Amino acid sequence: MTTTIAREQWGSRFGYLMAVIGAMVGAGNIWRMPYVTGENGGGAFLIAYFVLLYLIAVPGLMGETSLGRYTRQGLIGTFRRIYGNNRLVGLGLVILIFNIVLMSYYSSIVGWSIYYAYHALIGTFTQTAFDTAALWQSFSQNTALNVGMHSIAMLMVTGILLFGIKGGIERLAKWMMPTLTVALIAIAIRGLTLPGALAGLEFSFSPNWEYLARGETWLAALGQALFSTGLGWGIALTYGSYLGRNDDIPLGGGVFTAIGNTSFGLLAVFAVFPIVFAFGISPTSGPELAFVALASAFGSMTGGYVWALLFFMGFFFANLTTALAITEVGVTTYREERKTPRTRAVLAICGLIWLLGIPSAMNADILGYLDFVLGNWGLPLATFIIMVTIGWKFDANRLRVLSLNRGADLYVPSIWEATVRYQIPLIMLGIMAYFLYSNLGDAPLKTVSGLVVLTLMIPLCMAIMGRYEERQATGKVVGGQVS
Amino acid sequence: MSTSAIVVMVASIIALWGVAILALVYSMRQEDRKLVLLQEQGDFEPFSPAAQRDIEDWIRRHPEGQDADEMRELLDAQQRSLQRNSRQFYLWPDA
Repeated sequence: MTTTIAREQWGSRFGYLMAVIGAMVGAGNIWRMPYVTGENGGGAFLIAYFVLLYLIAVPGLMGETSLGRYTRQGLIGTFRRIYGNNRLVGLGLVILIFNIVLMSYYSSIVGWSIYYAYHALIGTFTQTAFDTAALWQSFSQNTALNVGMHSIAMLMVTGILLFGIKGGIERLAKWMMPTLTVALIAIAIRGLTLPGALAGLEFSFSPNWEYLARGETWLAALGQALFSTGLGWGIALTYGSYLGRNDDIPLGGGVFTAIGNTSFGLLAVFAVFPIVFAFGISPTSGPELAFVALASAFGSMTGGYVWALLFFMGFFFANLTTALAITEVGVTTYREERKTPRTRAVLAICGLIWLLGIPSAMNADILGYLDFVLGNWGLPLATFIIMVTIGWKFDANRLRVLSLNRGADLYVPSIWEATVRYQIPLIMLGIMAYFLYSNLGDAPLKTVSGLVVLTLMIPLCMAIMGRYEERQATGKVVGGQVS
Repeated sequence: MSTSAIVVMVASIIALWGVAILALVYSMRQEDRKLVLLQEQGDFEPFSPAAQRDIEDWIRRHPEGQDADEMRELLDAQQRSLQRNSRQFYLWPDA
């Protein structure tokens, strides 16, 4: 059994809430949510999304955070505490690897946002007849520049994480998230005053009720609810492990985190789509929306410099706070497992991520492939593992009584247990099966290769951790005899 | 904009921004109350009446083993806090 080492705590309630919301609000909220809403029946999608948010994301985040607060350890330490010193600790290693791989390509996205924030700062987008499509194309094709931006992104993450939970992540999130909010509100107000802007709101909010009967709408809502909140990736668990024993979880770690995160998505709808429609840009999602369409629109607006700066700085803040959270999962775990000072853990994990991220920075196809495998199966698998661990191995009833309702601002009744035990794991299995079915025909090679890697990873991680645990146990016995 | 779009937009604003702001403000105020209790009396009871009933019920159903000891310790701490402190964090029916 592992002993809990002395650990830092969040400095304030506001700091924790901003850090956790910063962890969840990322690129997906800004460049995906507005488009997915409009494409899937507007109001109908929002209803489906809202239902799933309360049925899955809110209870799931409550469970993950309260498990972290109870064990007060990172991913592997938590799994060891629950499963004992055996190979099942390898399940924690699987999730840790997903996080590191996720961050290896997410840092490229942070790098893109740094590059665009820089261009916004020097006023590139407001130059006469500036071609944003050409800028995006030349940037995308410049391998050295992409590697450089990935390196700068990782240097920033490293520098901030060296200051710790309170001095680094919390201190930054406390001003970055309010700044992002103000920036998006200001852009939304400006966008809504443009002629033709209301068509964007009509596209996003007009309810097309027949979409509620379509499976695709619910799947899109589910995907957005899960990937946007980062449920089951170990982030909520890690951040929860730095909470005080009597801090509230259900209201802050559950309701506020999930609903607050979606609120940023709604804010993005107001900020992005009025401008998109006012300028007659084709509504789309992904990098082209932010880096080509919006950059071009800002350039044509009165006071475009300010709007472009607000948008791209806000976008960078959203991505950076998410990157900090994903990386912190590895840092906390490495620090505990290797019993090293935080500085060494930060340098080791950030160095590893930087190295692993170079191929994604050099080649967008590699980034796309990793995103395809992780998004379709890796992250749902991580959520499945964490929820089964909470619901069945630890016992959802015990966790609710011991940790979740401790110091809570909101009492969580026993119905929560069924959600964690049955609902979320079954939905995760359903998602993985659906993605397998829908991708096998379109991208058989990517699907099969991704699944083979993931399937092999579980027994491999279990074997590695089984040997590691054995060696640790033997080392302790031998050490005991010698002394 | 159509009426239905306006209705959905307003409902979304209330359901998302309204709930998020309410949760943030309520959570911060509760935290302030906890801090005041900590400063004035050193601690406060960690469980609400409903949560305490859950612990008692759990111990009744699983009276043996390490987990039961952990639950008993929590219940003892809760009761000590209730006896020691004149001001409570949660609303108790007989307070």
